[in-house]
Amino acid sequence: MLLKGKTNKNNSIKHMKLTRTQREKVTALLLVLPALVFLIGLIAYPLIQVLFDGFQFKNLVNVNVSGFAGLDNFKEVILNEHFFKALKNTIIWTVFSVLGEYILGMFTAILLNQKVKGIGIFRVLVIIPWLVPIIVAGMTWSWMLNPDYGIVNFLMIKTGIIETAIYWLGEQNTALFTIVIVNIWRSFPFFTISILAALQAIPFDISEAASIDGAGIISRFFKITLPQLKSVSIALITIHVIWTAINFDFIWIMTQGGPYYSTETLPLMIYRYAMKEYNIGAASALASMIMMVMTVIFVFYYAQKSKMESND
Amino acid sequence: MIKKKFIVLMSVAIAACLTFSACSTGKNSSKSKENDTSKVTLDYWVCWSPGSDTEKNSKAMFAKYESEHPNVKIKYSLITYDMAHDKLVTAASAKNTPDMSWALPEWIGEFNNMGMLSDLTDYYNKSELKSAIYPNVMDTMTVKDKVIGLPYQLTIRALLVHKSLTDAAGINNIPATFEDMLKLGDIYKKTEKYPFGFCATSVRTPQELIGYLASNGLEIATEMKDGKYKNTWKDDPAQLAKAAEVFQYYKDLTKKGIVSPNTKAWGWEDEDTNFATGQYMMEVTGNWMSERETTNPKEMSDVAITAPPYKEIPATYMETNPTFIYTSTEHPKEAFDFAAFISGKEYQQAVFPVTSPRTDVVSDVKWSKDFMNIAKTGISFPPVTLGGITTAMTDSLGKTLQNNEEPSTVAAWLSDEINESLKQSGEYSEK
Amino acid sequence: MICSKKQKITMNIIIYVSLITISIFCLLPFLWMLITALKPDIEIRTATPSFFINNITFDNFKKVLFDTGFLGFMKNSLVVSLIVTIISLAISILAGYALSRYKNLKGIKVTNMGMLISQMIPGVLLLVPLYIIMQKAELLNTYYSLILAYTTFVIPLSTFMLKGFFDTIPFSLEEAAEMDGCGKLKTIFSIILPLSIPSLISTGLFAFLNAWNEFMFGYIFISDDSFRTVTPAIMLFQGAHTTDWGGLMATSVLAVLPVTIIFLFLQKYFIAGLTDGGVKG
Repeated sequence: MLLKGKTNKNNSIKHMKLTRTQREKVTALLLVLPALVFLIGLIAYPLIQVLFDGFQFKNLVNVNVSGFAGLDNFKEVILNEHFFKALKNTIIWTVFSVLGEYILGMFTAILLNQKVKGIGIFRVLVIIPWLVPIIVAGMTWSWMLNPDYGIVNFLMIKTGIIETAIYWLGEQNTALFTIVIVNIWRSFPFFTISILAALQAIPFDISEAASIDGAGIISRFFKITLPQLKSVSIALITIHVIWTAINFDFIWIMTQGGPYYSTETLPLMIYRYAMKEYNIGAASALASMIMMVMTVIFVFYYAQKSKMESND
Repeated sequence: MIKKKFIVLMSVAIAACLTFSACSTGKNSSKSKENDTSKVTLDYWVCWSPGSDTEKNSKAMFAKYESEHPNVKIKYSLITYDMAHDKLVTAASAKNTPDMSWALPEWIGEFNNMGMLSDLTDYYNKSELKSAIYPNVMDTMTVKDKVIGLPYQLTIRALLVHKSLTDAAGINNIPATFEDMLKLGDIYKKTEKYPFGFCATSVRTPQELIGYLASNGLEIATEMKDGKYKNTWKDDPAQLAKAAEVFQYYKDLTKKGIVSPNTKAWGWEDEDTNFATGQYMMEVTGNWMSERETTNPKEMSDVAITAPPYKEIPATYMETNPTFIYTSTEHPKEAFDFAAFISGKEYQQAVFPVTSPRTDVVSDVKWSKDFMNIAKTGISFPPVTLGGITTAMTDSLGKTLQNNEEPSTVAAWLSDEINESLKQSGEYSEK
Repeated sequence: MICSKKQKITMNIIIYVSLITISIFCLLPFLWMLITALKPDIEIRTATPSFFINNITFDNFKKVLFDTGFLGFMKNSLVVSLIVTIISLAISILAGYALSRYKNLKGIKVTNMGMLISQMIPGVLLLVPLYIIMQKAELLNTYYSLILAYTTFVIPLSTFMLKGFFDTIPFSLEEAAEMDGCGKLKTIFSIILPLSIPSLISTGLFAFLNAWNEFMFGYIFISDDSFRTVTPAIMLFQGAHTTDWGGLMATSVLAVLPVTIIFLFLQKYFIAGLTDGGVKG
C-alpha cells in the first residue's frame, strides 16, 4: 500500500514519492502504532466486551443464565438497595479526597519551594506515602486505627484529643471520613510534586515586582501564584477526580465497603457483582454507567481546556 | 554523543536479556509437564501461613511421598483462602484449574454446581479412609451420594473461657444457654471487662450465626422433596419467630453491655486477638487459638474449653476442610492417591495432629480432646452455592447492630435474600 | 522576598514546624511498620501499643528473608518492573513525540483522546476479560501477562508526561537535523533524547513505581510462587485464622525499601523532569 519514500532515485519518482503530508501521516502512524496495539488489544477490546455484557444476562457460575437483557441489568443496579448510598459515598469520597489532596499538596509545595536548609530531605520524606504499595498502606493504617491496640487512638488519648478510643473504621459515621484522610495521606505527594514543579517554573521577578508594589504574602499568592498554576491545577484535579472515583483496591483493602456499606463506592459494587454474586451482566451495566459519567466529566474538561487555550 | 548511544544500547541489551530470561523461565515450567512423560506433576494449591509449622511439616511429608513414589512430583503453590477462592472461580470459567487444592467447606456447594469437582465416590469406597474418618465429616463433603472431597482438617467451635477472669468476676457457672449469657449484664460495671465477644464482619460471622440458628432448631436452607433447597422461615411463623429470637440475642448482648460496643464491627482478627490479650472473658472460636499460647503466654494460660451457648439444642459449627480434585486434572489416579495420603494417618499425625478428621488421630492436649468432645453436636452449611447467602447473613447482623433494625424484619429479609440467592444459582425449590 | 530579618526568622520557624508536622504525618505508618517488624510476637499483640521495643528482634526479617520465598518475589517484581519501564519508555517516547509534533493530524487527535479515555476505566472492570485473554494466549503464570498488563496501564500517562516535555523542545533543532538528511528515528535518538534525560528519568520512575506497587492483577494472574511479585505476596501472611503481623510488616518494609532508595538517588531528576513541562496536561 503506502510506501516510504526510500526509493531508488533513478526510478519513476512520480509514482513512488509521497507528498510531505502523506509521509508525515505515515510516520506519525508508525510512531504511535506500538502504543495503539497495546491500548486496543488490552483495553479497548475488553471494554467493548464489557459494554456488550451490560445488555446480557451473564453469570460466571450458572451457565444457564444467558440471553438478551435489554435494560434489565441497569434497572437492577439502580434499584439495588445500596446503589444510592454507594453513589453518595463515591461523590463524598472523591470530592473530599481531591480537595484535601489539593490543599495539602499546595501548602506542602509552597513550603518545599522555600530556600531553607535541608529542604532536600523534606522533599524525600514527603514522597514516602506515595511510594508505599496500596496494600501495605491499607493494612498498616487499619492496624494503627484499631480501637483496642492501635497506636493512633493510644496517642490521641495520651495527648488528650479524645477521651476514649474511637473505632474509626468500625463506626458508620466515621469510616468514610477516616478512609478519606488516609487517601489524602497516600495521594497528596503526587499533587505536591506536580505543583512544586510548576511553582519552580514561575519567574521570580513577577512576585518580586508585586511585593515591591506593596502586596502582602496572601494577596500575592492569590493574585499572582495561583493564576500561574491554573492549567496544572485543572489537569491535576481532573485526573485525580477520575482516578479517585474509580479506585477499588484501596477501599477494599481497608474496609471492604463496611461497616455495613458505609464506605461502599461504585467500583466496589462492580467487584461485588462480578466476584461475589458472579453477576457479570449487572457488573458490566454498572461499569458502563460509570464510564458514561466519566466521559461527560472529561468532555467538560476538554471543552474548558480548549476555551482556556484559545484565550491564552 | 557516543556515551549516550552506549547507554541506550546497554538498556536495550539489558531489556533483551531480561526478556529472554523471563521467556525461558516461563516456557520451561510450562513445558516441563509435557517433556517428562514418565513423571507426573501435581499442581497443588495450599493455604498455610508462610514460615509456619504446618508449612514445615507438610513440606517434609511431600518429600517423603515423592521418595516413595518416584514418578510423582508435588508442585505446591502458596495462596490465601480468599485469593484461592476467587482464582479458582475465574480459573474454572477459563478452564484452567490446578490438579488439587485446599478448600473451605463454604465452597462445596458452589464448586460442585460449577461442575469443577471430580467424583471421588469409587476411589473413596475402595480406600481405607472409609473406616477411619468421622462419618458426619464425610457427610459434609458428600452431595447426593457423590463424594467430592477428602477431608484434611477438622475444626469445631467451642466456648473458650479465661477462667481467672470469670472467677474474679464471680461467674461460678459457665453460661450454657442464651438465657444464662444474658444474665451477665452487670459484669462489666464490676470488673471493667466484658464477659463475651462475637464477630459481625468477615468470613467467621456466618459461621457463628449458623451455629446459633441451629441451636434454635433452624436451618438456613432446607432440602425439599425435589432435591433442591429453600429457606422455609416465612412459610412457618414459628420458624420466623425463632430466627428473630437469634437476632434479638445479638442485640441484647450489645444493649446489655455483655459485649463491647465495638463488637458490631469486629472481624475474626479482632475477636481472636482481643480474647488472646485478655480484653474480654469468653469467646466462641476454634482450636487454632492454641497458637496464641506462644504469642500471649500470660493471658492464655488460664483457658478452659466447653460447649458454645445454645438456645434450645446444643449445636456448634463444624468446619471440615476438603481436598478438592478438579475435573480438569490429567492425573486423577495420582491425584487421588496423594489426597488419600494427605488424609492418611501418617500425614495427619505429622501435620494436623490436633485438628485431624481421623478417628485414630487424637491427642491428649485439651486443644484436641475437649474440642472433639463437642463434635457430635457439629453442623455445617448446606451444600449450595453460598456467596450470596453468606453475604446476606453478614449483612443481617449489620442491619441488626449497625442500623438497629427490628429482629423480625431482619429475619424476614434474610429469608428472602437466601431464597433469592438460591434462585440465582438455580438451586431454589419450587415445592 | 523583601522583609525584615525578624519576619524572616518567624517565617523560617513556621516553615520548619509545618514541614516537620507534615513529615511526621507522612512517616508515621512507615515508622510503625518498621517498629512492629522489629518486635517479637508478644509485644505486637498487646493491649497497650508502644513505640518502644523491649526486646528488639530481627527474627521477623530473618524469617521473611530466609524461610519464605521473599527473595524470589523481589526478583520477580524487579524483573517485571524493569522490563515494563524499559518497554513502556520506548513506546511512550515514540508516541509522545508523535503527539507533540503532529498535533494537528486527525489520527493523532483521536489517539490523544483515546489515551485520555483509557485513564477513566476502573481496573476492576478489566479483571475477568483480561484474565480470559491471558488464559487463551497461555500467558497466565508467566512474566508476560504482568508485563503486558502493566505496560498497557502505564503507557497513557507516560506518553503525556513525555509529550509535555517534548513540547518544550524547539522544533528548529529538528529542522536543522532534517535538512542534514537525518531520518526521524535518528533525530529522536540523537537530538531529542539527550535533552530529555530528566523527563525520561521521572517518567521511568513513575512507570517503575506503578509496576512495582501493583497489586490486583499480580494477585489474579499469578498463582505460582516462582512468578509471584512482592505486593500480592504480602497477603500470604494473612492466614485463615491468624495474621502474622511481624512477618507482614517485615515484608512491607522490605518491599518499600528498594523503591525508596532508587527515589533517594534520583529525586533531583524527578522534580527537574516534572518542572520542564511535565504536567500541563
